[in-house]
Amino acid sequence: MAVPGTFLPPVLILLLLLLCGLGPWVECVFFNEEYMTCRWGSRETLAANYSLYYWYENRSPVVECKHYLQDQDINIGCHFNRSETVQFQPFRVLLNASLGGRTLEVHSKRMELQDLVKPEAPVNLTVRNMSGNQLQLTWSSPYSKAHCLEHSVKYKSNKDTSWTVGEHRANGDIFSLPSVDYEKFYTFYVRSKINGYCGSTQLWSEWSVPVVWGNNSTSKGTAEEQLRWFWIHTVLIPIASCLLLMVLVILLVRMERVWVILMPRIPNPIKNFDELFSTHNGNFQEWAGVPKDVVESFKPNYSENICYVSELPPKDSYEPLWEGSNHPPSVTPGSPAAPREHSPYKNSYLGV
Amino acid sequence: MSHAFFRSIFRVLPLLLALSPVNSSGCAMGNRTAEIRVKYENILSHDIDELVNMSAEYRDRCCKNKKHENSKVFFCNDTQEVGSLQTMACSMLRFFQKQKIGRELRRKAALVSCGTLQVLQCRCERLRKEKVCMQVNTYHREDTETGEQSKKKCNQEFCELKENISSLRSCWNKFEKIISR
Repeated sequence: MAVPGTFLPPVLILLLLLLCGLGPWVECVFFNEEYMTCRWGSRETLAANYSLYYWYENRSPVVECKHYLQDQDINIGCHFNRSETVQFQPFRVLLNASLGGRTLEVHSKRMELQDLVKPEAPVNLTVRNMSGNQLQLTWSSPYSKAHCLEHSVKYKSNKDTSWTVGEHRANGDIFSLPSVDYEKFYTFYVRSKINGYCGSTQLWSEWSVPVVWGNNSTSKGTAEEQLRWFWIHTVLIPIASCLLLMVLVILLVRMERVWVILMPRIPNPIKNFDELFSTHNGNFQEWAGVPKDVVESFKPNYSENICYVSELPPKDSYEPLWEGSNHPPSVTPGSPAAPREHSPYKNSYLGV
Repeated sequence: MSHAFFRSIFRVLPLLLALSPVNSSGCAMGNRTAEIRVKYENILSHDIDELVNMSAEYRDRCCKNKKHENSKVFFCNDTQEVGSLQTMACSMLRFFQKQKIGRELRRKAALVSCGTLQVLQCRCERLRKEKVCMQVNTYHREDTETGEQSKKKCNQEFCELKENISSLRSCWNKFEKIISR
């Protein structure tokens, strides 16, 4: 449930918008030093009853705007005739916004009208051929003081993708293009601004009506040629590529010969040994194809009995077992016994 | 015969007054508009732009809604542009000794003042501009630290100087527009 008093008064909303930089703010433009308009928004901004007052500091009294600009009965700007404008004098504006019985005042910053001038676009653009493949572009300006203007020229040929833009303070209304291609088709635009000697503004005029130079026939053919290239690049080439790809895929799938060449089989070693076990019963020499005489040569042609060798256990009493010896060996405790000449293997029978 | 003598004397004096240079009592502009225009466009206008940019780097919050005592300085009177420029330039020279303003800004402002007076060949009535202009040329640059500190301090003298700079530039714009017809 809405609590009374929680809704902000419309004027406070307006003030809030103003503090956030979203509220009405006066912007003035002095068009070609002939007339000036100061605007503060459209009907999309907060609908209120606006009135504008202006004065020149230390010079004139405060005066209300005589010619309002309206949008659906809402004042959105003020129109000043030339007689109402004075340059090089500090100019101030006060905007009153009335809403719901309350009034909000918006003071503009101090302005000087020479810094708000927006000249008209240059006219009568003319291109001349000069020597050495040079082009000279000239124009005239509706602004009365041409020496206070600086100009910007933008141009491109039919082969260029982007505009070339240059700014210069021309001595007179002349621009030279050093070298041109007679096979190309050029388009030129010019705009103007008050230069720094006569004011301090960033307001450029609108771009002029263009002037063209070059081979006229190429201009007509250019559109057709561009259309043709468009069809080739965007339609024909992709379709052809897709068709070629499909043909290749079909060929690969259907023709195994081609597939085998492109994707050779990796040999499986187990198949090679399959015959060893299934046909030759594991006989490696037979499977390997070793000749019979070689196989026989490895077989031994003698027989040999197995000789069993065992060690006799040592006896408790000591008996000399050697022959031809009159001196019994002296035995000291702990000392190893002298090696016997009698080998316990003497009694063994070694088959020869 | 005596009445003829007095008539001739009384005619000449008003004639002399009528024929005296309209622009200023301290300037010898003569017929040098082309020369003045060349010097302004090629040299002085760039110094003025630099001075304006330099002053914009300083804090100016304390300058809002300030009324100035000497309002004469800030008018560029119609048909009196040279005299107005002379007044503004001589007034701006006063700030060269104001210690509360950053040194580089003071020096640049004095440079522009001296340039204006030199181009228009004007003198200052109360100030020895030659002495000040000599000092300007021999002034040393301040170190960066003190310069940055002075930019953060807003004071009324800086506000007056800023006002003076804006008026001088505006008056030069007006003069240029007139002499370049």
